[in-house]
Amino acid sequence: MDKIKLFFKPYISILFLRDYRVGIILFLFSFLLPSVGILGMAAIFSTIIFAEIMGVREHYLKYGFYLYNSLLVGMGVGYFFDVTILTLLLTLMLSILTFLISFGLNRMFINYSLPILSLPFAFVSMLFYLASLKYNSLITNILHRVPFFDLNLPFSAFFKSMGTILFLPYNITGLIISLIIFFYSRILFFLAVLGFVAGVLLHSLFIPFSASLNSFYNFNFILIAMALGGVFLVPNIRSYLIAVIAVSLSVILIDSFEVFFNLYALPVYTLPFNIITILFILLASIGYKYFNYSIKGTPEKSLEYYLSNIFRFGGNDIKINLPFSGKWSVYQAFDDEWTHKGEYRYAYDFVIKKEGKSYQNEGKFLEDYYAFAEGVLAPVSGYVVALRDDLEDNFIGNVDRINNWGNYIIIKSLNGAFYVEISHLMKNSLSVKVGDYVEMGQIIAKCGNSGYSPEPHIHIQVQFSPVLGGKTMPFKFIDYIKANRLYYYSLPKKGEEIEAVIVDKTSKLRMNFILDDEFVYKVYENNEEKREIGFKVKMNEKGEFYLTDGKNRLYFYLSEKTFYFYEYEGKKSYLKELFKLSPKIPLTNKIVSYYDILPVNIITEKTKKYIIEFLLSFNYNLFNKAVKYEKKPLEIVSKFGKISFSFYEKGFKTIEYENTKLILRNEK
Amino acid sequence: MSKKYEKPVIIKVDFTMASKYGSPLKTQKVRSEIDGVNVRNLVKEFGSPLFVFSERGIENKYNEFKEAFTSRYPDTQFFWSYKTNYLDAICKVFHKLGSKTEVVSEFEYEKARTLGIEGKDIIFNGPYKPKEALKKAVMEGAKIHIDHWYEINDLEEIADELGREIPVAIRCNMNTGIYPQWSRFGFNIDNGEALDAIKRIYEGKKLYMTGLHSHIGTFMLSAAAYGMEVKKLIELKNKIEEDFGYEIEYIDIGGGFASKNRLKGVYQAPEVIVPSADEYAEAVTNAIFENNKGKLPKLYLETGRALIDEAGYLLTSVWASKRMPDGKKSYIVDAGVNLLYTAFWYNFDISLDKRYEGLNEPSMINGPLCMNIDVIAENMMLPPLERGSVLSIWPVGAYTYTQSMQFIRYRPKVALIDKDSTPHLIREADDLEYVREKEIIPDFLK
Repeated sequence: MDKIKLFFKPYISILFLRDYRVGIILFLFSFLLPSVGILGMAAIFSTIIFAEIMGVREHYLKYGFYLYNSLLVGMGVGYFFDVTILTLLLTLMLSILTFLISFGLNRMFINYSLPILSLPFAFVSMLFYLASLKYNSLITNILHRVPFFDLNLPFSAFFKSMGTILFLPYNITGLIISLIIFFYSRILFFLAVLGFVAGVLLHSLFIPFSASLNSFYNFNFILIAMALGGVFLVPNIRSYLIAVIAVSLSVILIDSFEVFFNLYALPVYTLPFNIITILFILLASIGYKYFNYSIKGTPEKSLEYYLSNIFRFGGNDIKINLPFSGKWSVYQAFDDEWTHKGEYRYAYDFVIKKEGKSYQNEGKFLEDYYAFAEGVLAPVSGYVVALRDDLEDNFIGNVDRINNWGNYIIIKSLNGAFYVEISHLMKNSLSVKVGDYVEMGQIIAKCGNSGYSPEPHIHIQVQFSPVLGGKTMPFKFIDYIKANRLYYYSLPKKGEEIEAVIVDKTSKLRMNFILDDEFVYKVYENNEEKREIGFKVKMNEKGEFYLTDGKNRLYFYLSEKTFYFYEYEGKKSYLKELFKLSPKIPLTNKIVSYYDILPVNIITEKTKKYIIEFLLSFNYNLFNKAVKYEKKPLEIVSKFGKISFSFYEKGFKTIEYENTKLILRNEK
Repeated sequence: MSKKYEKPVIIKVDFTMASKYGSPLKTQKVRSEIDGVNVRNLVKEFGSPLFVFSERGIENKYNEFKEAFTSRYPDTQFFWSYKTNYLDAICKVFHKLGSKTEVVSEFEYEKARTLGIEGKDIIFNGPYKPKEALKKAVMEGAKIHIDHWYEINDLEEIADELGREIPVAIRCNMNTGIYPQWSRFGFNIDNGEALDAIKRIYEGKKLYMTGLHSHIGTFMLSAAAYGMEVKKLIELKNKIEEDFGYEIEYIDIGGGFASKNRLKGVYQAPEVIVPSADEYAEAVTNAIFENNKGKLPKLYLETGRALIDEAGYLLTSVWASKRMPDGKKSYIVDAGVNLLYTAFWYNFDISLDKRYEGLNEPSMINGPLCMNIDVIAENMMLPPLERGSVLSIWPVGAYTYTQSMQFIRYRPKVALIDKDSTPHLIREADDLEYVREKEIIPDFLK
């Protein structure tokens, strides 16, 4: 099965899609010109065999471009020549050459995180054409080429361009490819049309319209628009605009290449597409806000993933935990009036207040201050890189102007991307030493009044470097509770009293699903027992875990403080309802309400879903429809229904929505 | 106002701590009110000395501990340790907050019952449980924690008498790496005695195990010791569930969490050395998760001192002052060690009712008893006080009242300040009739 997938995947990869079944359709259609079909097939086989001989299976399995570049080369040969022993041999050699060039290019490009697209194909085609000038035995019959059958269609120029992508410049193939693209992604289809129209119109300003419309290389417009607008950039109006700009630049590239290459009878093929797209990706990768860091199966999926990441999981910001437990008040926030300025503006100060005061009695002794001696918790998991704890706690009314930071600790985050610094700790209160590993939430010190501190408080900041007093960088708190509402990935405002979320380990234990755990439910509809259904825990090849009822998959993740579902594959099912009922489960025993945003494919169906998915690229706020959830100790309630847990059992005890109720029967 | 005359003395001046509030010679600890009620007014209304409890203080502390434990381990239940403070009103405050009851004698058991606590909500601990009291507790469904082998026999006899099996827990002791090790109560885990006791219970077939209890000590300044305790209890639980098929419903880890009282002989401030509720909770719950096999047990806590100590104050008034031969000033106040048994091991935090004029000097506070040992504070820096100055001694919520005695003087009134800052009388002062009530003069002396 995997081998079949491997073989057909290159066909669909050319269209930036992933479903190998459609690869089969394209494979079959490639035989409209038998030489294209046969030599294409031969190219894939040659590449696989060569790679096997070289013992680099992992490599060509890992990267799709090895095979699709060879495929394109093979089809290119087939487009010009009939199938003969000689052309087969040529295909074999060119495939291997393509493989080698692909590998070489990838080695270089990977340093810049650039894709090689079909650049190897473009190079090898050129070499092949140059060489073929000398091979008198190869006679092209391109002028007599006709497919088995074709249709007459309006927008023929567009469909032919589409077909050209697979060396089949006919209406019928163009139509099939268009339908496939439309079926999988409305955004890609839109971009294909947009690219084509923009490119042709702009081109027509320089050359006659009919020449522009029927140019053999118009498929470059389509590929550029799809690659940039839908694949490598996150789809939205800005990315679409960039795609159009790229298309318009390619006009000049196509024409100039054409003029120059024609001197040697060289085809231009996809070279303009490759050059333009790669240059744009290179530029976009250094800071374009909507650069697509995780390319999914379709632009729609990429977009949903991107929006989920932003709206549900706080985007790519630095996220840390609160450095305390219990209720504390914000004394200074980012950019605040006393000391959080300039390079030090991204910092927080916290004190404890009761009845509006941070101290009892007259507040003249350290121990009068509620914050004094309270535990300081590690805000991230990581390693201690620096600390000091030998400075006296200043008595009230005095500050240490020499050692501003007082007793401090600097923790390097596990991914090494940032450092967290906490200041003004109590003398001798640090319970860890340099080099120690600390776990998020671990008690590491006590709040004190050392350094430039007018009263006991916790100062926390995130830095680029492990140097005391290093430049600060912005961050967010993973979660906190304010007035019984649980906030995710936010920043409290000055003066606000917030409460840290302590992980209830029993609820973490309940959600700690292990491979092959199975949860069998009795399903009741209108209180009538209907059937039994089992959810099993499985893992896919990428190491992602999901619950499955045999057909549908609901992907979940258990983080330090939350259990959440993040992706659903399949049709309407109980698992899909489960996603709606509990997209995120805070692992806390607190009674809180919180909001979450459900992916479009979870809350909408079919046509409506397709329309919204498409419109989403024009307005991200269509995604931002928050649903309120109420978390009680063993229950989560929302407008969709209710789920409940048992204190002692793993998993969901009951799942209720509309007139349906699932009750956990047992755990195998 | 003319300055009051003070006899001149020579004092060593210490400049090290000079701040904007002045040197320690001028630093005065002032607590003019408790929960918004002026201490002088309290004394005026209820008399002096006076025990004062703060409902707000109790509630804050209880919630702090409850939060620390239940946020990590929801199935946690607090049992109010009666011996810490069994004034009816105080117990009521705890029960209102959701605390159940832990008693160590038939007297405490009866007291809880009269307060309306059902037997099933009472843990009956202690090395001495008279048979009749034990039988009553069993009949009423109390949780019996067996302390010694004799008690197993007693309970088996009771089981025979009642004709049914009795659910029990045993108290365990162990080495948790602290000194002194409390090995006087219960059965030792480390030498296998606890397991032997359970074997004995199993073979007797009249009792069955539902819980494990331990109490490792008092005023424990190490959270790690609790981690060790829980680890050993959970390991024992795992073993007996596997070997005997018992289902251990709960583990009771006792009490002993420290309050912010200052032990004599301890140099550092209590804020520095006393672990927070979170630290205790973290150590305890981590140990459960790391070691438990099978169903998670309920977690029972018998926290006493840490919940009430800081909510209790003793107000006392200065009656006279003297100059001792060594130059030290001595104040005679109306509360003595008869009310402050705990003064023998604590250096209390003693505050003034207001700011006083004059320099601080080394002073001693003595009680009203005509006894040389009646010393409340041996050496503290105080400004010149006058007759009627009110001192508030803190924290005295735990054990102080239950261990105070009628000796030489009557025991004073007790007030509770509710959350709206209204003081209520919760215990009258003793009087002659009360003291003499149970006394009998034999006829031959009449």
